[in-house]
Amino acid sequence: MYCNQPPEKPGNKKELLEKITNMARANSLWVTAYGTGCGSIELRPLGTSRFDMERFGIAMRPTPRQADVLIISGYLATKTLKRVIRVYEQIQDPKYIIALGSCTINGGMYFDSYNTLNVLDKYLPVDVYVMGCMPRPEAIIDGFSLLMQKIKDGRAHGWKHYKENLDYYRENQKKIITDWDLPDYNW
Amino acid sequence: MIDKVKNGFEIRFPLYKLVREQHNYLHVKVDMVSAMDAIVMAKTSLGHNVLQLISTVDRIEDGVFQITWILENYGACTVLLISADFPRENCLVPSLSQIWPAASAFEREIFEMYGISFPGNPREGEDFLLESWKDTPPMRRDFETEEYAMRVFGERQPREHIDPRQYVGDIVGEWNTPMGRKRKEEK
Repeated sequence: MYCNQPPEKPGNKKELLEKITNMARANSLWVTAYGTGCGSIELRPLGTSRFDMERFGIAMRPTPRQADVLIISGYLATKTLKRVIRVYEQIQDPKYIIALGSCTINGGMYFDSYNTLNVLDKYLPVDVYVMGCMPRPEAIIDGFSLLMQKIKDGRAHGWKHYKENLDYYRENQKKIITDWDLPDYNW
Repeated sequence: MIDKVKNGFEIRFPLYKLVREQHNYLHVKVDMVSAMDAIVMAKTSLGHNVLQLISTVDRIEDGVFQITWILENYGACTVLLISADFPRENCLVPSLSQIWPAASAFEREIFEMYGISFPGNPREGEDFLLESWKDTPPMRRDFETEEYAMRVFGERQPREHIDPRQYVGDIVGEWNTPMGRKRKEEK
């Protein structure tokens, strides 16, 4: 009886392939070693033996060309934003952003500062926010596992959103970077 | 140790004002005309030949900028602070970059943060910390930081404040604790 039934269709071939690649992507997140604020201090214990992020397949990379995750660790000055945009656009697709700390969410304790931006979402597409001031390494690991789940489910497409709405992001970026010298296209 | 320095000041600048004195520390205030003479004298004849810092205070109530030069004598382990008041409008302070090349960096920073010009500094006006700043210098007290942040970085979602007594008050009233019993009696 079992043999008589036609075999179940595995669905769209492309979809299946995407699922498998997403699984691979989620389990080998490589992070650009670039710290923007005070939060990058919490990445050191995360990388070393106590919290050991390499057991999740997360590794630090020296250059954005080899990485696919950018961590915005804490407050972001307008001067740093220029460098961050440069780094982010050099990362190859697919790429994800994790933002740490309350400073990236709504400005935190630097909400009325003259050179730190308040809401990061206006300038770069953020996939996962980790709250806290500063978040402990456990919280960052939690954020990473959330990102992994998002990638596996195929919901982490901030990079696609950035490409589609490049004009919106560029407009916001140019509003605060007055001496704009980056190219208008996306790398 | 510091008596020698104090005597030197008393002979040459009889109108100086003593601000604070300790066994190896002297803070004096001179008028703006004789400030440069006092610094050169401290370097040449009092042995205070290391410029540690140039600091500025915006005394908006008196309409002046108080500039303090911190000079140190490493041989005798004494510190000498020379302050002078300069009028706030179109503030011009002579540059020390010909005497100490390191003063150039301090003066550039003060120019950027307070808008105080140091004629004679060869690198004045170059970007130091801020990139292409067009507003009022941010450390001046007439610069509205919060208004600027609202204008440039946009509105942000403010933090919700919940009064804990109001929030858990009704629950506490039902608990069998000293506070709860007290609240029951009040009712």
